[in-house]
Amino acid sequence: MKENKNIDELFREKLQNYEQEPPAYLLENIFAGAAVNSKRRRLVFWRISAVAAALLLAFIAGWQFNTNNNADLNKQSLATMATDNQNIMENLIQTESHTAKVASGKSIQKKTDINPVISARSTYEKNNSKVETSLVAATNESHQLKLIQGRSSLIPNNPESVWRLQKQKQPEQSVKSIDQQIMEQNQQLLMVQNAEKGKGKWLVGAQATPVYSVSKSSQSAQYARNMLSSESSNPVDLGGGLTVEYKPGKRWSVQSGVYYSGLAQTSGNSTYGGSKNSLAADVASKYLTTKVNVDASTSKISMNSSAGVIEFSGIPSQVVIGNNIETNSMASAVFVSDARFTQNFEYVEIPLYLRYTVLNKRFGIEMMGGFSSNLLVGNQTYIESNLGKTLVGKTNDMEVMNYSGTLGVGFKYGLSKSFFLNLEPRVKYYLNSLNNNESVSYKPYTIGVFTGLSYEF
Amino acid sequence: MEDFKTIISECIAGNQKAMAKLYHQFAPKMFGVCLRYAKDATEAEDNLQDGFIKVFSNLSAFRHDGSLEGWIRRIIINASLEKIRKQHLLYPVEDVSIYDSVNFSDDVIAKIAADDLMKIIQELPPRYRLVFNLYVIEGYSHQEIAKEMSITQGTSKSNLSRAREILKKKVQENFGELRDQNNYTA
Repeated sequence: MKENKNIDELFREKLQNYEQEPPAYLLENIFAGAAVNSKRRRLVFWRISAVAAALLLAFIAGWQFNTNNNADLNKQSLATMATDNQNIMENLIQTESHTAKVASGKSIQKKTDINPVISARSTYEKNNSKVETSLVAATNESHQLKLIQGRSSLIPNNPESVWRLQKQKQPEQSVKSIDQQIMEQNQQLLMVQNAEKGKGKWLVGAQATPVYSVSKSSQSAQYARNMLSSESSNPVDLGGGLTVEYKPGKRWSVQSGVYYSGLAQTSGNSTYGGSKNSLAADVASKYLTTKVNVDASTSKISMNSSAGVIEFSGIPSQVVIGNNIETNSMASAVFVSDARFTQNFEYVEIPLYLRYTVLNKRFGIEMMGGFSSNLLVGNQTYIESNLGKTLVGKTNDMEVMNYSGTLGVGFKYGLSKSFFLNLEPRVKYYLNSLNNNESVSYKPYTIGVFTGLSYEF
Repeated sequence: MEDFKTIISECIAGNQKAMAKLYHQFAPKMFGVCLRYAKDATEAEDNLQDGFIKVFSNLSAFRHDGSLEGWIRRIIINASLEKIRKQHLLYPVEDVSIYDSVNFSDDVIAKIAADDLMKIIQELPPRYRLVFNLYVIEGYSHQEIAKEMSITQGTSKSNLSRAREILKKKVQENFGELRDQNNYTA
C-alpha cells in the first residue's frame, strides 16, 4: 500500500494546483456561447408563458360555455384530442423514419445515382410496418409510399444492381476495424434511443385530495323567498382516484383516469322566514323558519335549498314543524328546529387533461388543464342538530351527467427513476348547473390539493 | 466574497468586462483541471470553453453559500465528464495486463516536472483517467465515482488500481531508474 500512496501523492502534489494560461481566443467563444444560451432561455420563458396563456384561455372559454353546449363541447374536445393524437403519431413516425434513414443510410450514401433507391429501400425495410401505418394515417406520405414500393419491387428483380451496390460497399470494409466497430455500435445505440423515444412513456398513479367547495348559485325570486340560506363554510369533502397519463414527448402529455369526488352544500337559518306565523316566534331567529311544502296527496314534505329542492323521505324525528295558529292548513307550515342541512353529492369523474412540463428535473413542475365528465352516483341530505346527524332524504332534480373544467399546477418529486410524489393544487368549475330545476342554477367551484404517487414505465 | 457578489450580478446582467474578470480569475486553474481530464490540450480547451459557457449561463443559480471556485470547478469537471461519456461511451476499456509493483524513491519523484506527469495522465485510457482524477486528486469516494459514472464500486476500484499500475510503469519508462533502493516492503 505504501507505493500506492506514493504514486497518489506524487500526482496529487504536482497536479492538484496545476495552472496553465488557456489560449486567449477561448474567451471570445465563451462570450458568444453564453449570449446564445441567454437568448435560448428567454425563448423558453416566452414559450412557457404562451402555454400558460393557452391553458388559461381554454379554461376561461370552457367556463363561459352554456349548459346547452355541453354535449357539443364534449364531442369537440374528444375530436380535438383525437386529432392531437393523430398529429403526435404522425410526428413520431416521421421522426423515426428520418432517423432510421440517417442511421442506416449514412454509410451507403456515397453514390448519388443510386442513393434514393438505397435510402428508400433501407427505410422501407427497417420501418416496414411503421411506414405502412404512417401512410394510412398521413395522406401526404402516400406518394412516398408508392415511390418506395415501386423502387423496392424493382430491386429484387435486378440482381445486378444489388451486386453493384454490394461492390460499391466493399471499399468501406477496409475502414479501420475499430472505427467500424464504433460506427456499428453507434448505430445500434441510435436505434435503441429512437425506439425508446418512439415508445412514449406511461404514468399510472393514485391520488387523494380534500375538496373545498365554494358555492355559486342563483335562484328565481319566488324560489329564493322560501329557501334555506346557504352557508359560506361548507364541510371539507374527500376525493381521489386513479390516473393514467401518456407522455409521447418531453413536454406534453395527456391524462385521464377515474376519480371519485364528494361535494357538500350546507344550509342553515333562513334569511326570509315566516317568524311572525311561527308558534315559537320569540326564538325563531335561532331556528329554521323556512317554509315547508307538504304534498297533500303523498304527505311528503320538501324544502327549498340553494342547491335544489330537498325531498324528505319522512318527517325527521328531531325536528318540529310549526304552523300558523289561526289556520289548520299546512300551507304555511315552517320548520321550528335548531338544525343544519348538509346536502352531499358524490361524483365519479372521467377527466381529460392536457399537461405541459415546465421543469423536468428531479423536482418537476407541470401545468395542467382540461375537462371532465362527472356522473352523479350519490345524493343524500342529512340533518344535523344537537341530537346528531340523520339521513333525511335527497335533493330533487339533480343532473346525472355534468361537465367541469379544471386548471392546476402539478409539483412532482422523483423518489426514484420511476416513482414520483405528486402534489397538485387544482380548481374545478362546473360548466352546467348541477340541478336541472328551472328556478335553480347551482354551479359550485371546488378547490383540491391532490397528493399521491405515480409510476412511470 | 463581497467582491464576487458584485462581479456575479454584473455577469448575470451580461456585462462582458465582469465576465472577463471572473474568467481570468479562474481560467488558469480550471484549464489545469481540464488538462487532467482530457486526452490532449485541444480537448481540454473545448471542455474549458463548454464549462465556462455553463458557468456564465447558470451564475444566477449560484447560492453564495459555498465557495465560488468550488462551484465553478464542479461545473468544469462535469463538462469534462460529459465529454468523455459522449465520446468514449462505446470504447471498451482495454484490458491491461497487471504490471509488477514498482516502488519509487521520493527524491527522484521530486525531480519529475508537473508537465510530464500531465502528459502521462493524459495518455491513460479515458475511464482510468477519470477514476484516477476523481479519486486521487478530487478526493471522491468509490461510491461517488460509481454513481457519477454509472459503474459499480468494484469496477471503480479495479480501474483505479489499473490506472496506478499504468502510471507507475509510464513513470518508470520515462524517468528511467526509479526502482526504490530503500526497500520498504514489510
